[in-house]
Amino acid sequence: MVIRDCMKSKVFSIPATASILDAATVFVERHVGILPVVDENGKPVGVIRMGDLLTLELPDFVHLVQDLDFVHDFGAVETTRPNRRLLLQPVTTLMKPIQAIEETSGLLRAYARMLQDNLYDLPVVDASGKLVGIVSRVDIGAAVLSLWSAKEKK
Amino acid sequence: MNLAALLAAAIFLVSLALIFTEKLHRTIVGVAGAALMVLLGRLLGFYSESDAIAAIDFNTLGLLLGMMILVALLEPTGFFQYLAVWAGRMSKGKPVRLLILLGTVTTLVSMFLDNVTTVVLIAPVTILISEILGINPAPLLMAEAILSDTGGVATLVGDPPNMLIGSAAGLSFLDFIIYAMPIVLAAWFIALFLLRFLFRRELAVRPKKISAVMKLEPAQALNDRKTAIRVLVVLGAAILFFFVEHLLEVSPAFIALSAAALALVWVRPDVKKTLERIEWSVLVFFAALFVMVGGLQASGALTSVIRLIESVDQLPPVLFGVLMIWLVAALSAVVDNVPITIAIIPVILGLGADGIPTAPLWWALAFGAGFGGNGTIIGSTANIVVATLSEKTHAPITSKLWNKRGLPVMLATCAAASLLYILAYPLYLR
Repeated sequence: MVIRDCMKSKVFSIPATASILDAATVFVERHVGILPVVDENGKPVGVIRMGDLLTLELPDFVHLVQDLDFVHDFGAVETTRPNRRLLLQPVTTLMKPIQAIEETSGLLRAYARMLQDNLYDLPVVDASGKLVGIVSRVDIGAAVLSLWSAKEKK
Repeated sequence: MNLAALLAAAIFLVSLALIFTEKLHRTIVGVAGAALMVLLGRLLGFYSESDAIAAIDFNTLGLLLGMMILVALLEPTGFFQYLAVWAGRMSKGKPVRLLILLGTVTTLVSMFLDNVTTVVLIAPVTILISEILGINPAPLLMAEAILSDTGGVATLVGDPPNMLIGSAAGLSFLDFIIYAMPIVLAAWFIALFLLRFLFRRELAVRPKKISAVMKLEPAQALNDRKTAIRVLVVLGAAILFFFVEHLLEVSPAFIALSAAALALVWVRPDVKKTLERIEWSVLVFFAALFVMVGGLQASGALTSVIRLIESVDQLPPVLFGVLMIWLVAALSAVVDNVPITIAIIPVILGLGADGIPTAPLWWALAFGAGFGGNGTIIGSTANIVVATLSEKTHAPITSKLWNKRGLPVMLATCAAASLLYILAYPLYLR
């Protein structure tokens, strides 16, 4: 089994001209964790992850304190919304370079890449570099685990 | 000035300029400058390798290393975070009270422990508390850096220039308590009130969620209570010994290293991890500067400076001291105060050898080097630390903000120190 066999081939994407707020709306409606950002020709120019948007809500100070056991209530952090001007900026300001996996890659190779780069979803490309799908840790994990029971049935 | 003196001065001044531009790490500049100075000394025959080794003040290095080991042991226990969280709760979410409490706690700790470590550990909790309250952390962060730098001038171990001055001038821990602390206390309160005033608008904001701060649990921030208590007991004992060092005829370095040894034996930590927390780059930087300035002195460059000062004899000595405060402060505001201090020490020693009363000048040097750093965002390492951390918040501390709020504090503390210096001058002469 290769990545092509377990990926989702229906990919939701967002145009490079969209705002951060537009991206947030797509995340909410589609309930996905990653959106490729595409130019006017449909070519991917980067990706935006849900986590990138959430850093606007939860600033980086969380990483500054080693452990947060002593905090029982996040107080104003819970209710502070990012300001409107920031949300109307183009999504390209937050987007990251695309890290994709080939559709012919083995499952565990793709999974290892995710672990190494601390990613939860990977865009899938064909031999020509065209975006053909998206695969998540759960997609790969389920595919791998399904092989266990398949073996037992034999 | 002869060729040796000119070239040695050039090496030192170029090194200072490179440290100022921050294009290269200061330790790299220091090591390269020291190597060049020894090379020059060997070529022109004014400075040998054994002279270079002899120029290193091992008393200062030992004191620094000993205190660094104690901090390295205390760092992972969560003690610093505990203090910050405690201050947060005690403030009951009132911004002004939070500023005073956090500023006081940071100052008290950094009077005895390295203030950079203190700020590195307390500032993140400060940001966390500010975010929870929904207030701007910038005034609190700047107060922590400025007040801890100011307060550190009060003790022998409070900041590196004091360790250098104490070692070179033979001033004891008690001398600093008697001669520096009263003036530093006055300057500290002026700094606090001025910060309170300059940040009045930011501090007037009513926090959104006070109840959340009351739910903070200081005890849960203290991860390793047992180790914290052990290190604090040893630290307390070391401070007691510092007070009587002159009676026991031991050096501060001996006390600090003995305390470090005792703490290591008592805590028995993972030594590799503990030693990784030691700031070796600082120790190497100091050693390199000693070698560089030793060469500067051997070349005769500093003698020229001493002669120059002695030729201006119209200036009353008390005014010369005040001038020293402002000159050192101005230099320390733009470049690291350690090389400045290391370079000025032999000048004062030289003046003393020529029969000029130098006792008051040591204090002028300490005040200038200590208070000058408050003036700019790059004036001290603590300033750089809080500014860098604030970049992760909604309200980053900019150089412009520091010039508006920090510079007045530096000017006011230096003015106060000058005034009190003039008043205390007869006392210093004794």
